[in-house]
Amino acid sequence: MKPVHVFLVVAALALLPWGLQSEYVFHIVTMIAIMVPMALSMNLMLKIGQLSLAQPAFMGIGAYGSVLLTMRLGVPPVLALCLGAVFSALTAVIVGPVFLRIKGVYFVLLTYAFGQIVNLVFQEWTSLFGGNGGLYGIPKFSIFGLRLAAVQQYYVFGLLFTAFTYAAMRAIERSDIGALFQSLNENEMLSRSIGSNALAWRIAAFTFSAFIAGISGAIYAFYLGFLSPDAFGFRLSVDLIVINAIGGATSVLGPLLGSILVVPLPEVLRDARQYQLLIYGLCLMIFLIFMRKGLVSLIQHHLRTA
Amino acid sequence: MIEQIFVNGVLASLIYVIMALGFTLIFGIMRIVNFAHGEFYMIGAVIVLFFFGTLGWPFFIAVAAGGMVSAILGVVVERVLFRPLVGDELSGMIMSLAVGIILQSVVLIAIGPAEQSAARPFTGTWHLFGAVVPWDRTVVALCALATLAVFYLFLKFSRLGLAMQAVAQDPQTASLMGIESGVVYAAAFGIAGLLAGLAGGLMAPIYTVGPYMGELPMLKAFVVVILGGLGSIPGAVMGGLLIGLSESVLTTFLDSTAALIASFVIVLLVVVTRPTGLMGKSVR
Repeated sequence: MKPVHVFLVVAALALLPWGLQSEYVFHIVTMIAIMVPMALSMNLMLKIGQLSLAQPAFMGIGAYGSVLLTMRLGVPPVLALCLGAVFSALTAVIVGPVFLRIKGVYFVLLTYAFGQIVNLVFQEWTSLFGGNGGLYGIPKFSIFGLRLAAVQQYYVFGLLFTAFTYAAMRAIERSDIGALFQSLNENEMLSRSIGSNALAWRIAAFTFSAFIAGISGAIYAFYLGFLSPDAFGFRLSVDLIVINAIGGATSVLGPLLGSILVVPLPEVLRDARQYQLLIYGLCLMIFLIFMRKGLVSLIQHHLRTA
Repeated sequence: MIEQIFVNGVLASLIYVIMALGFTLIFGIMRIVNFAHGEFYMIGAVIVLFFFGTLGWPFFIAVAAGGMVSAILGVVVERVLFRPLVGDELSGMIMSLAVGIILQSVVLIAIGPAEQSAARPFTGTWHLFGAVVPWDRTVVALCALATLAVFYLFLKFSRLGLAMQAVAQDPQTASLMGIESGVVYAAAFGIAGLLAGLAGGLMAPIYTVGPYMGELPMLKAFVVVILGGLGSIPGAVMGGLLIGLSESVLTTFLDSTAALIASFVIVLLVVVTRPTGLMGKSVR
């Protein structure tokens, strides 16, 4: 088995929905295409050794930001999508210098509190964000006169964005920057002693992850046509952690595999939500105990022995 | 008015203090942020709902049973799931998420998603300096105070309590002095489970009982503990009183969500400016 085989399998899976021609399958794969970049943004933060619970907040800022720009100010969706992601990135640039000085448990708690505040603002500022009742009547996305209405179109859109994010994250992972992140994670003192600006690189990673999460959020919003704050709550953070733990956080392939396995679960187990939670928890537990490096470690093992 | 706000604040803060003590104890000793802490509270309440509400046992025996079940659960999950992860803060935290999810879903399967309420064992009110105090809250407050007193005596005078303090201060020296860290870890989780289970059991007749009821008390414990300093026991007591009182003021003049937002803003400010909390020791 070579790396190219893994990609052939993933590519075949990505094309599979056209073979099945079911709207329902297209919905599930679209959700996967939206979640892979989110999982990758979480993965980038894990790479620099920080567990960020702020990613759902960034997704929410991108989602509400772009949609409100379109609905209230009539900004064209393409521009609104970019601006929404820029809002997310700007938020990260503003809070990053303060947050990223703090490490370990305190960073987790800090981003948790930040995520809660953003979510409570979405819930409470009903005149702008629609509150817990949700925000309805979001127009469909359109690009260069092409109006995206069908789920298939959103799937292609999501797939393109996923491919872009994956390529970008993989490029980061394999470049000197990836090595630098790894050195910051493993031995920050040593890394700084050879002249790396730890804080600046952390802020850069945080900002990029927020930007990606913002675009994901915008695609999500235009696709569903409805937004409610609980989509961007603590549960989403848990999902992203589960995806990274099951897939494996050491390589960008991990979040991709994790998303393909985890995202369909709620849809498949729609009638038995309680069992979905149970399966979630048990999987997380089993992977933590027996397979700390996730599924990707199995594949890497295969690649090496082949 | 002011008396009422003060009384409400103190009544609320006692439960916060009990929740926060267990949370901070586990962190101080094992460096684990236990996201499943609220679920131990929920388990205590579910046990009371069953033994007191359904089977008609005396209330206090049901509460004690809730505390015991939570305590045993705490010891078991520590030994089986958390012990292998000691020293790995991130994995410990993720494991606690897994434990929380599993406990929630087990209760969800057992009793369903609907919020249920147990009969009130105590009714009526009495007056204190012009403030109206419900009897059931009074009983909760007295039980909470008794629990706190026992916990204090245990920590101050028992061998195990002293050993726990020693491990929290300096695990290596403690182990050189012949303190078995395994016993201390199990005790930390057991006591945290006991405290949370008792709190949940006491509160069961006051609020409704359901699989997700632990989330809010957990959130409160979390805020209290950060304010007081992760791992600091006096900090948990002080933080609990501070949050309980300020919340009572904010809830009276604004609303409960404003109080929640305010408490998270306080958390942000505290972590940013003084990560070890108001009473925390400096990072070792």
